[in-house]
Amino acid sequence: MAKNPLHTKLCDMLGIEFPVIAFTHCKDVVNAVVNAGGFAVLGEAMHTPDEIAADIKWIRSRVGDKPFGIDLVLPASVPPTGDLAELKKKIPESHWNFWLDMKQRHSIPDPKGQVALHQWGGLNQEIARRQLDVLLEERVPVICSGLGNPGFIVKTAHERGIKVFGLVGKARQAKKEAEAGVDAIIAQGIDAAGHTGPIGTFSIVPECVAVAGDTPIIAAGGVTTGKHLAAALCLGAVGVWTGTLWLASRESDNDMIIKEKLINATSDDTVYSDCISGFPMRILKCVWTEEWAKDGAPKVLPAPYQMLLSADYIQAANDHRRPDLMTEAAGQGVRFITSLKPARQIVFDMVEEALAVFEDLTGVPAE
Amino acid sequence: MSSKPLPASHGFDSNMAGRRAECDGGGPTAVARFAARQEFAGQLTGEYVDHGDPPWRWYLMVELCRKPEGYAWDSVWCESGNLFLVDE
Repeated sequence: MAKNPLHTKLCDMLGIEFPVIAFTHCKDVVNAVVNAGGFAVLGEAMHTPDEIAADIKWIRSRVGDKPFGIDLVLPASVPPTGDLAELKKKIPESHWNFWLDMKQRHSIPDPKGQVALHQWGGLNQEIARRQLDVLLEERVPVICSGLGNPGFIVKTAHERGIKVFGLVGKARQAKKEAEAGVDAIIAQGIDAAGHTGPIGTFSIVPECVAVAGDTPIIAAGGVTTGKHLAAALCLGAVGVWTGTLWLASRESDNDMIIKEKLINATSDDTVYSDCISGFPMRILKCVWTEEWAKDGAPKVLPAPYQMLLSADYIQAANDHRRPDLMTEAAGQGVRFITSLKPARQIVFDMVEEALAVFEDLTGVPAE
Repeated sequence: MSSKPLPASHGFDSNMAGRRAECDGGGPTAVARFAARQEFAGQLTGEYVDHGDPPWRWYLMVELCRKPEGYAWDSVWCESGNLFLVDE
């Protein structure tokens, strides 16, 4: 019998059975994954401090003493001013006309209600700080920063028994966060969903392992199967951070139309484009991405202008549930999501497949 | 949630003033609920703001020689943990 290759430093650190981390915006997925022996992190960047406190209470009532994490997008840079209403006035007329023409040609309806983005108002240091203070007060087991360096909060968090994880897109960020004392670093490759760094997962993971000293590295970006999990451990990671995998899970609160799109998608159906927000991000192709990729389309505007321009489209697509219009952030591993499964089953399937890989490689069954 | 502003103290760090630096910056995007990365390079003025306690320090970067295409401002506030001094 060989040592269980899936029992890693991450399992010991968190007291979990499997080194699989689910990143999700759905509390039910958190509940299912944590109770299946994995670890889950709830993305709360767009929520108010009160909503975050309520969600933490909800999760605790379901998972008891088992650990879970909350992810915030700590900003790393902020422009000197941030009045979105004023910014909207600066969008060129040619871009508004392009959108209006697209709207007519594809019969895109108006949003049913107020556009959520227009009510949001941005996220400055003060709002992010208030979100963070809730996590400290509630003593959540793990605080994750999906962008900025969380080093400034490490000492305070550790005093309260909280672990701190940071997500990076470059090795130099990993080195700096390791020096700041974070407990683990998520190295995210360009294969990932959403706005990622420029380096592929197969390169960023070992690069970060090499510079992070004793700080464990978790692999992210395109991780969807047990084979990916096994490969990540071979690269020196102690576990995997997965996002797209859970979007089509049975527990996910995503619209069924999006779940079906994800199940039917291959990596070719994702596109790395800045046309949604002005930042490059990986999403499922839709009418909006196809129109902006055409010859003759205007040049994509920088953030936040492009985000303001796309806000009505995104809201209308979701309000009216038009499959051709709807989109979702999705990583290149989407090809391997082929059915609607319970989150618990997804965890077990990934673990079984990874163990089979190690058995094939070594010829020895795991303990 | 309290509407009382969190403490923010302004200051000047002469050791940082005039230093050339790069910032692996970015922030959240509302449309997609995800983080977005942005890169800047320029010169630090030395001016800083500490938000909350423990202090979350931000430095002002000006004379931007690298910024996202179309970035509409002449300066940017950079979180200290995401700054890399280029002459070190």
